[in-house]
Amino acid sequence: MLAKKSVLKVAALAKNPQPPLISRTFITQAVITGLASHFIFGKDAQLADNIENGKYSNPSTKSNDTTSIDLFKRPMEPQYDGHVPLYLHEKFLMYLVSSAKSYYHPEDGINIVQLGESTAIPCCLENLKQIMLKDDVGRRILRERPNISSETLEAFRGSNLPPNSVGMTYFKWLDKEGVGPDTRAPVQYIDDPDHAYIFKRYRQCHDFYHAINDLPINIEGEITVKCLEACNIGIPMAIMGSIFAPFRLKKAQKERLYDIYLPWAVKQGLNSKPLINVYWEEIMHKDVNEVRESLGISKPPDLRALRKEQRRLRKELKIRYER
Amino acid sequence: MFRRVPPLKRINKASSNISTLGSSIVNAINHSKSTTPLLSNYYSTIAANENNSSTLPVKSTDILIVGGGPAGLTLAAAIKLSPNLKHFKTTLVDAGNLSENLPKFHNLSSSAYMTNRVVSITPQNMDFLTGDLNLPLQFNRIQPFDGIYVSDGLNDTSRMAMDRESMGNMVELLNIQSSAYMKLLELNANNNTNPIEIADNCKVVDIVKPSTTNATANGVENTNPWPYVKLDNGETYKTRLLIGCDGFQSPVRKYAGIETRGWFYNEWGVVATMKLEYPPFNHIRGWQRFLPTGPIAHLPLPGDWATLVWSTTPELSKLLVSLPSNVFSKLVNAAFILEDGDMQYYYRKLSDAAVDKRIFDEIIEDIDYRIEVKSQQLINKNNSDMYYVDENYPPPIKDTLEKSRARFPMKMFHADTYVAPRVCLVGDAAHATHPLAGQGLNMGLGDSKSLVSVLEKASSRGLDIGSVDLCLNDYWKDRYGTNMMLLGVVDKLHKLYGTRNEVVVGLRQWGLNVVNNLGDVKEFMMNVVSGRK
Repeated sequence: MLAKKSVLKVAALAKNPQPPLISRTFITQAVITGLASHFIFGKDAQLADNIENGKYSNPSTKSNDTTSIDLFKRPMEPQYDGHVPLYLHEKFLMYLVSSAKSYYHPEDGINIVQLGESTAIPCCLENLKQIMLKDDVGRRILRERPNISSETLEAFRGSNLPPNSVGMTYFKWLDKEGVGPDTRAPVQYIDDPDHAYIFKRYRQCHDFYHAINDLPINIEGEITVKCLEACNIGIPMAIMGSIFAPFRLKKAQKERLYDIYLPWAVKQGLNSKPLINVYWEEIMHKDVNEVRESLGISKPPDLRALRKEQRRLRKELKIRYER
Repeated sequence: MFRRVPPLKRINKASSNISTLGSSIVNAINHSKSTTPLLSNYYSTIAANENNSSTLPVKSTDILIVGGGPAGLTLAAAIKLSPNLKHFKTTLVDAGNLSENLPKFHNLSSSAYMTNRVVSITPQNMDFLTGDLNLPLQFNRIQPFDGIYVSDGLNDTSRMAMDRESMGNMVELLNIQSSAYMKLLELNANNNTNPIEIADNCKVVDIVKPSTTNATANGVENTNPWPYVKLDNGETYKTRLLIGCDGFQSPVRKYAGIETRGWFYNEWGVVATMKLEYPPFNHIRGWQRFLPTGPIAHLPLPGDWATLVWSTTPELSKLLVSLPSNVFSKLVNAAFILEDGDMQYYYRKLSDAAVDKRIFDEIIEDIDYRIEVKSQQLINKNNSDMYYVDENYPPPIKDTLEKSRARFPMKMFHADTYVAPRVCLVGDAAHATHPLAGQGLNMGLGDSKSLVSVLEKASSRGLDIGSVDLCLNDYWKDRYGTNMMLLGVVDKLHKLYGTRNEVVVGLRQWGLNVVNNLGDVKEFMMNVVSGRK
């Protein structure tokens, strides 16, 4: 008898040699986590979310597979042609990446485009929209939605532009810089269609700001125009660009910018009328000085000439004194 | 302003007293505190005035109600209906022609037009009027509404919808006044032992305390003398209790020497009666949008009528009242659905319009176009259907009733106390508020109800109803706190929505959205607005 008992005890010990790996607390935790995640992330909860957001479609009208979850949900339907709706975290990532890329490679258009659209937060564009709605011409621009492209600009070249008109100045500037009028990249990542149009208009008028102020398309000229846009129109990318972009420049360029051109741009931008309210297509035939006066802007010193002059002076002094 | 008493026996000081009274009242309109030096004018000429400026005997009455507005007439009806108070001799004095105008309004056969002075009455006050007082209101001219929709003028998405069955009723002031008057006539016809005396077409010229010589005739100094009220038809009443329901520039309040504290908002309200394009089919709601210049409110009336209260700057209010009615109606539609930039553009163009009719046509066309575009944008943005605009914006207005447009200044005032020896104040004489929460007359009716219950209590105990300590103080204690709270909240709300500061605007928009989603907070606010405790 005793032997049988002891054999049974040994057998029991052999079966369970050590304390159980899976303790009660572990099981409890696992069960709770499982239940919680079922109720938060499970299929029922996702279905309920979809019903609430109005994205539920009756499965009996479609396939019988009711267990599939739409993995490719986008935040909204496209609101206009070419619209690519992004989630907020996607926009933020685009901002981070494009800001780094734009700093080192501003000549690549895609970087600037993406940076501009990711930083154009709705409150700034809404502010711009109200400015346009308050003004007679701005209102008409919003209503008629004119589009500036290379074709529409080339059409002006043929028409009889009086000398010293805005159009003539523009084409002369184009010839001087050796470029042609180019169609700007379409707006893709801005959600509201009105805001998208305003941003497109801003992009398309950028060349006019160059031409009317006779600023070249090198990095200094671009930074100056960006600063003018920042102070006048208030686009966040322009503000960021005019603050951070000069850091990469050479000493001589920086001096020119900080001493002459950026102060000019700030003063002009803050004191002149809002430039988005200008209906460029209608004033192509007007006298450029009249337009400048009515807007309250005046030309800065000629940047190309200044660069040439300073370079020549530097070379001369170098030859003279570094012998 | 006040006509002089026909001098049957001229006393040198009498005329100067009346003219100083008149000019002081005119000056007091523009000051936030009423001037107390008036009393010294009274006391200096007391001896001369007593019983000397007319040969008519002084009539004695128990309760004299000065002012036949909605508060005064309903108070008179409540007093005459109360078993404890109907034995008091009651007189009501008003400068207007009540006996002609009010029965004429009461007997209007159809609601062919609606008057422009319309207020919202809470369900509790409606019960008071229809139940306790059983007034013969014209119910075909009353519109109950089932909710209020509040939105911010600087944003499309910040809004709050408060929905509750019969949250309030829109009633014309004339409806209340005329039904109370008819009730009083009915009570007089049934009870000819102690009818209420209604002295209309009589302006109060002067209110004086009797001279001290008379009071100490029996050797006992009368510390609580009866006021003597002089009317412009030569009669004089002395009364046990003088109730002032006589509005903002109350002579009764000035007699009592009660000061008021408050301020004029730099805003004027434009009221108008409007005809809708189609009667609201879904909910019958009140709509209020807080524009940067001031709130605009669209409140429903029976059928396809609606009433408008648009508070705005003094210059804009002048402009709005002067516009042709088709332009004005379009502008009201625009104010509810379009954006701030649009409204500023329209204000600017219309101010420059002078007498150029073409600009009006251009503006009408522009408003139509913008509303169309905006409606489509709202539908797209909210992923909704074409009924989105009908659900979330007020029904559009077709036209404004001619001659119904008027403007009046907005103010907030509160009297320091509602009671003085033998005097109490009810309604606008005691408090004035901004109409954005629809509380003005509701406070006045609450005052009437409370005063009647206080007087009943005193009368059932045989106390002097004119005594402050024994009777009237309870009324002040009951009403002052409630009214002060409502005045304060309405004022803060007005100030909150009167700023364009970006931080405040952002916070208030977020806050409104939060409150819209918090059921309990919304319930609490609805209770306050609809008068439930």
